Amino acid sequence: MNNFGGLLINEFIKTFKKPRTFISFIALTILVLALQYGFYHDGKEIMKFFTQSLEEDFSINGNMLTSNFITYLILQFLIVQMPLLVTLVSGDIISGEAQTGSLRYLLLRPQTRTQIYFAKWIISMFYTLLLLIWLGILALVVSKFIFPNGDLIAAFSDGVHITRAADCNFKFLEAFGIAFLALGLITSFAMMLSAFAENSISPIIIVMSTVIIFTVIGTFELPVFEFLKPFMFTTHMIVWRDLFENPVPASEIITSCMVMFAHIILFFSIGLFHFNKKDITC
Amino acid sequence: MKNYFLLLLCCIPFIGKSQSVDPKKSINKINEKFSKVADYKADVAMQFGIPNVKISNINATVLYKNPNKFKMKAKGLFFLPKQNPMQNVMNTLKDTANYQAIYSGKALVNGTNCIIVNIIPIKPMGDLVLGKFWIDDVKNLIVKSEITTKNNGTVATENKFGANAIYALPDEIKINMDVNKFKIPKMLALDINKKKKLDANPNNKKESASITLHFTNYIINQKIEDREFTTD
Repeated sequence: MNNFGGLLINEFIKTFKKPRTFISFIALTILVLALQYGFYHDGKEIMKFFTQSLEEDFSINGNMLTSNFITYLILQFLIVQMPLLVTLVSGDIISGEAQTGSLRYLLLRPQTRTQIYFAKWIISMFYTLLLLIWLGILALVVSKFIFPNGDLIAAFSDGVHITRAADCNFKFLEAFGIAFLALGLITSFAMMLSAFAENSISPIIIVMSTVIIFTVIGTFELPVFEFLKPFMFTTHMIVWRDLFENPVPASEIITSCMVMFAHIILFFSIGLFHFNKKDITC
Repeated sequence: MKNYFLLLLCCIPFIGKSQSVDPKKSINKINEKFSKVADYKADVAMQFGIPNVKISNINATVLYKNPNKFKMKAKGLFFLPKQNPMQNVMNTLKDTANYQAIYSGKALVNGTNCIIVNIIPIKPMGDLVLGKFWIDDVKNLIVKSEITTKNNGTVATENKFGANAIYALPDEIKINMDVNKFKIPKMLALDINKKKKLDANPNNKKESASITLHFTNYIINQKIEDREFTTD
């Protein structure tokens, strides 16, 4: 166990010593701050456009441009970007070492390959968690300083659902939990590909291509693609949004979480199996 | 021909009775009741039934000060019709010189015998086109109303009264109105990968919406400061 602890520390140092690890944090900071600035400036205009149709019949009382609304929008806008940021580390964690040749030396250590793979997976997941916590701080905490607290008005294709401010913090906590599962899936997928690849670029490109293809197919409202949707993990990755539906479709959320968890186990197992069998030639 | 003549003879007593109802007198009695209210404050619980808007109930405080100061305060979002019937009904009826009141029959509303009075403006009254009121002529209360305006269509209300009926203040108001179909800008919905639910109203016809307000803890004539209407 001590050996495993040492391995974890070693992986932690290696990962967080690389400048590329912090690219994601910088990119995320710029993205979120830019969105917050944009909404601070033009948010009222956007809200007018949003509620234009409702305001034909009703006077809407209360503030709609709230910190909860901004947090929700930030999370929604970052659906496509976050997997890329996560992949920057997890896609490189094995293939990067294979590329530089340090993987051979790593495998000379007394720890088993399973322990090494597991330690790398834990560090990748830890990095993903840190990235999400950073997103939470930026989106939720910083927004609270810029925008007033209040109800969250979320748009769905069947209408708008309003979540009361008192319920928002807990729902965001749950949403971040589901987002961690979703990004954990991407982390495991990228790491599995990393075990197969001999360079860092391929896993990153494959993960992003898969996410983009699945997302694009998911947006097509063509009956021919309908049967594919439950099999694409991107369908389940955005299930956190359903927490803001009224009433909350709990069974759909639980099913999607189980599907994502199953994906994590599957990708982890395939990656581990291949890593154990892998012939290290470089 | 003889039969028609007999029928007409039978109707004469009713015609006489309908003419005996003076709608303005009934309205004046209601105005008189409400004129006793210089101001009021009450707690209100709101329930919403708006198509394509899922919103939970909310509690608010309602403030009124004669002649026309009105405010609803709540910690959260809530919707009210653009022409607020709580304010509109009494304001519409206030000056009887502004409109022609026409008695147009009787009806039973929620077990209460009411006279129906139509109001047609004879002087400019905002964008009011027609007002229709079901009045409990015994208790002098408006049990139901329909106010039609040029810009906002028709808003109907049904009122239930309790202890504050002596001031013509209701314990419950149910507001019903027809609304346009709410369209979500696609940019903001972002329902990626979600199967689109079947549109219950594909022809963009108007849909009916309702808002119910339950009033409690009325505080009447306790002098509300003007600044209360400007602060949140």
